[in-house]
Amino acid sequence: MASSVLLAFLFLLLFLGLLLFFSARVNRGQKPSLRRIQAFEAIKGFTGRAIEAGRALHLSLGTGSMADITTADSLAGLYTLDYLADQSATTGIPPIVSMADPTVMLMAQNTVRSAYGSDKVKAAEAYRDIRWIAPQPAAYAAGVMNLLSLDEVETNIMIGKFGDEYLLMGETAARRGTSHVGGASDPNTLPFIYATAQETLLGEEIYAGGAYLQKRPVHIASLLAQDTMRWIIGIVILGGVAATSLGIING
Amino acid sequence: MNLRFGRILATTVAIVVGLFILASTFVAEWPGEIFGLSGLINQVSLLFISWVTIVAAFALFLGFANVISVHWNRIQTRKPGALYSIVLLIALAATLAVGFLSGGPNSNPSQFIFDFILQPLESTFFALLAIFIATAAFRAFRVRNLETLIFVLFTVIVLLGQVPIGIYLWAELPVIKDWILNVPALAGVRGILLGVALGTIATGLRVLVGTDRPYTDQK
Repeated sequence: MASSVLLAFLFLLLFLGLLLFFSARVNRGQKPSLRRIQAFEAIKGFTGRAIEAGRALHLSLGTGSMADITTADSLAGLYTLDYLADQSATTGIPPIVSMADPTVMLMAQNTVRSAYGSDKVKAAEAYRDIRWIAPQPAAYAAGVMNLLSLDEVETNIMIGKFGDEYLLMGETAARRGTSHVGGASDPNTLPFIYATAQETLLGEEIYAGGAYLQKRPVHIASLLAQDTMRWIIGIVILGGVAATSLGIING
Repeated sequence: MNLRFGRILATTVAIVVGLFILASTFVAEWPGEIFGLSGLINQVSLLFISWVTIVAAFALFLGFANVISVHWNRIQTRKPGALYSIVLLIALAATLAVGFLSGGPNSNPSQFIFDFILQPLESTFFALLAIFIATAAFRAFRVRNLETLIFVLFTVIVLLGQVPIGIYLWAELPVIKDWILNVPALAGVRGILLGVALGTIATGLRVLVGTDRPYTDQK
């Protein structure tokens, strides 16, 4: 028990060390070239498409909360909102943002407010399009399906925590011919996203929004730290398999 | 000046609370005392967690105000679906009134609303998933490239291996189905989960050390 706690603590320290190391490197200007993720490229053009069509852009932040294990997923959606809110502050067309948890609604309002800066009138207008639908997944899905139909949504982004209810919303978007990007971390939801969305963010890709959309140095550093940790874990797994196969350690 | 002070305060609170909660998870698993601080760390983190409940309850109140505001605006501007908004606001007011007048959410009338209106509606709505899965599968099964070809191939094998007729078509189908689910599919899921875990930890660490402050208005 003590050894596993110590191991977890050392793991966190190593991760933190790598994060700070890569942050310093990226801040010095040593930025890596990120592989192309088609979904983020699509998101970059979504605001323009919505304006051209004279219709709305909808962002669903999912059924996650800011106060439990789904916080990271909700934050992933909020980083995308941060990017869209910055664009909307320039264009004057705010996105419609929906969520199932009121704590996420407060964060979304804060994100939009910070994008509009001192322009409180426009920020208040943008606030009206931040909609808390309902806490239950089924009721939330019903609300979003209604929203996709009634508000004439041109482009739809769904990034956050989703369960089976994703299919109800994703399929509605697909049937209406809405340009649709979906992303979730739950492997059980990924087939639904794959079947309904035009561009997908699978698993950890949803956390890369800050790096890809806004080029934030700390987010880019975070991706580098994640990749390094993945290599370390991979080598440890392979080493463990080899050592067990050769009888060096007992499985 | 005030704005800057607010940012510093928010960041300090986030880091201190985050460190206490993180420390409490290690303390809970660690056998024995850590410098005699285990009890204190546990108590303080429990206090912070109890505050979360209060904040969440207040957020729910603000969410309630948001629902009224959005639908009232829809009714006033006579947007499409305004009729649904009227129904929603009436249902909301009626449920609230029943809750207040009958003695809270555990009273019989409130329970009736949940057990005989809300739950059946939710179940009925989720039953639609069966139809949606069929239509989504129809679209997903269109072979457009190599990726979708593999997707369709694996899906058909798993589908046939899962149903009794599969064994009559080819006795090896259930065996192949099991192999697909236990080897490539499971490996893929584990890979995704590993990536998700690393992404979650990275997000947490960024917030914990204050390099990422989504709770302030600073970019």
